Amino acid sequence: MRHFIKEIKSSEKSGYLMSMPYVVYFCIFVAFPLAFSFFLIFHKWNIVTPMEWVGLRNFNRLFHDIQFIKSIRNTLVFLAIHIPLQISIALFFAMQLNKKIIFRGFFRALFFLPVIVSGVVITILWEQLYSYETGLLNLIITRFGFARIPWINSPEWAMPSIAIMATWKNVGLYIILFLVGLQGIPRYLYEAAEIDGAKPVQRFFYITIPALNNTMLLVIILSTIGGFSLFIEPFVMTGGGPMNSTLSAMLYIYNQAFYFGHMGYAATLGFFFAFIILVVILIQKKVVERE
Amino acid sequence: MQMENNHHNRNLRKIHISVIGLFCLLCVFQLCEKRQNGNQQKNSGIQITYWCSSNQDEIDLAQYLVDQWNMVNDSIKVKMQPIPASQSAEEVLLAAIAAGTTPDICSNMWPGAMDDFIASGGLVRLDQFPDFVDYISERVPKDLLETFRGPDGHFYQIPWKSNPIMVVYNKNIFRDAGVDFIPRTYSEYIEAGRKITRDLDGDGNFDVWLSHRDTKPIWWQRFFDYYTFYIAASGGQTLFDGSQMIFNNESSVRVFDFFQQIYKEGLFAKTTFVGDAFILGKLATQIAGPWHVSHVEKFRPPGFEYGIFPVPVPDDYKGQVYTFGDFKNISIFGTTKHPEATYAFAKYLVTAEADLKLLEFTLQIPIRDDLTENPLFEDFFKENPNMVYFAEQAPYTRGMDGVSDLKEIFDAISQEYEACAIFNRRDPAVAVENAAKRAKVIMEWNRSR
Repeated sequence: MRHFIKEIKSSEKSGYLMSMPYVVYFCIFVAFPLAFSFFLIFHKWNIVTPMEWVGLRNFNRLFHDIQFIKSIRNTLVFLAIHIPLQISIALFFAMQLNKKIIFRGFFRALFFLPVIVSGVVITILWEQLYSYETGLLNLIITRFGFARIPWINSPEWAMPSIAIMATWKNVGLYIILFLVGLQGIPRYLYEAAEIDGAKPVQRFFYITIPALNNTMLLVIILSTIGGFSLFIEPFVMTGGGPMNSTLSAMLYIYNQAFYFGHMGYAATLGFFFAFIILVVILIQKKVVERE
Repeated sequence: MQMENNHHNRNLRKIHISVIGLFCLLCVFQLCEKRQNGNQQKNSGIQITYWCSSNQDEIDLAQYLVDQWNMVNDSIKVKMQPIPASQSAEEVLLAAIAAGTTPDICSNMWPGAMDDFIASGGLVRLDQFPDFVDYISERVPKDLLETFRGPDGHFYQIPWKSNPIMVVYNKNIFRDAGVDFIPRTYSEYIEAGRKITRDLDGDGNFDVWLSHRDTKPIWWQRFFDYYTFYIAASGGQTLFDGSQMIFNNESSVRVFDFFQQIYKEGLFAKTTFVGDAFILGKLATQIAGPWHVSHVEKFRPPGFEYGIFPVPVPDDYKGQVYTFGDFKNISIFGTTKHPEATYAFAKYLVTAEADLKLLEFTLQIPIRDDLTENPLFEDFFKENPNMVYFAEQAPYTRGMDGVSDLKEIFDAISQEYEACAIFNRRDPAVAVENAAKRAKVIMEWNRSR
């Protein structure tokens, strides 16, 4: 301890002073909320009335809460559609944009555009497109003589529809990531493979995919975390319906905290959900990562 | 090397002094601002802060009333502020109570959230003022006033205004569809809907619907379909009788059944419209309060004729039709340093003159039983004949039960309503039973120690 104090005394003080703004920020906006949330796990509190110690009762409720379990299942359904869709579309476009095509810069910017637009704006726009009776998509479909699709009006269609929209919004970012990865693959590998008679499909599976492993891992982890945070889309577009089919775990936690005032229970759900994300990421890392 | 180090140290010292100086300067500014605020308050006597609703009509009304008050009151000055923007006023008020930053008085108190506010000790008990009950009883019918009594037997809110929910209808659409009657019952409403909802241009898509309601399973959306129709079908019952939950009854089943039929036949659109579909002539009716009349008056195209009728009731219903009132009341917060002065201002907000301004500025209905008889309001109702329907409906309105689990109970009802009425996947009786079971579990959990 004495050694530690001595080390601090002899070190350059300005470093501490310079990092102070971030330390203050971290303490107020990260460390304190985290510690307070942990404290809340064992309490019942609705912000205005005094806190009440409940021990592990919030966990007991969590394991009996059918709606929370359903919200996790919905989130996993979203991930199961969204991640493969996103990776395949992003990789396809990244490969096209890696070729020498005209207006390459323009297209790269164009695909990235939805990423920087507010999620709320995009969701409202897609809500109009998906509209059952008056939406543009259904008007086109009915013009061709097909029946209307209840995009966000049917429990079976709603989550896939949200996954399609989320893919459209985020795919630009992953195109850029794949593009960076593709540009890092040495050309001579392709040339050597071509000389050896490898076909384009073989080159894709035996050179491109293995060489993109790090990027792929990054994309999977980022889209998993992003997918687990699914909130704006169901919050604005469906409110969690129809019949709870788009009730994501984040939306459910938000409702418990800010609609119903169960701060302690919401904190318990939050920590439990963070643990699930951690487990899923570790599994993905184990499965996808290669030396 | 030594010189370089000295130079470096001098620079660092300069940076240290600058940072500390900047911090001191900020502290001084903060202190000056506080002192200035304190001086201002000292110079002008008592100053109270008043939060009003954040919609423009109510801001204009509040500004007018505050200006009038400040003009004649030198000792008590009022500062008006709209409630800070948020999803709902209740969220802001809860956050303000938690942070101790509530204003002295607010006129946007939702009775459904009062239990939490009272339990937190955040409100001033109004019946501690000796003239409270007498003063308010002159304005508000006694039985209605009783519905606003807190769980501890005291009053914490002054009933201020209500928005009786009725059906506003497009006369042109009714006429074009050959509907020559005002639908009073479920059967009549559905019959009118079958004639009205149709494809006008032959493209296979409906162009006009009977009506539209937001189908999202958000708890407060049910105020304007299930709850309004439940109050009407049950002759003015709410979800609770005291602390007893009573909505698991025949009236609820009939309402679920009625809406199931409406959605099954496609009479209500399930779409999301761009713009106001009622004004655009796509909807024949709109379930709404008097605020909608003000909106229609502002934006209706030439030749657009509209009328108002009470909420439809079951075919065998007899008696006066009740509806949901969407009350908003006035409360004084416990953080006030001037309860007497704030109470004086609260009384001013519910004078007959202030009520007339409430009508004129916002087209919302003050809670007073002489509304259609007091000569002061006569000219207003002559100029706004459609508002007479709402004024006459006002005594037959019901609000929310002051139950702290209300939002969750509405959430439970909302989910069953969605499954039964909108998606036709559950029998009405089963759906109501499920909602009641879930509500019971919610209450047990929330009350368990």
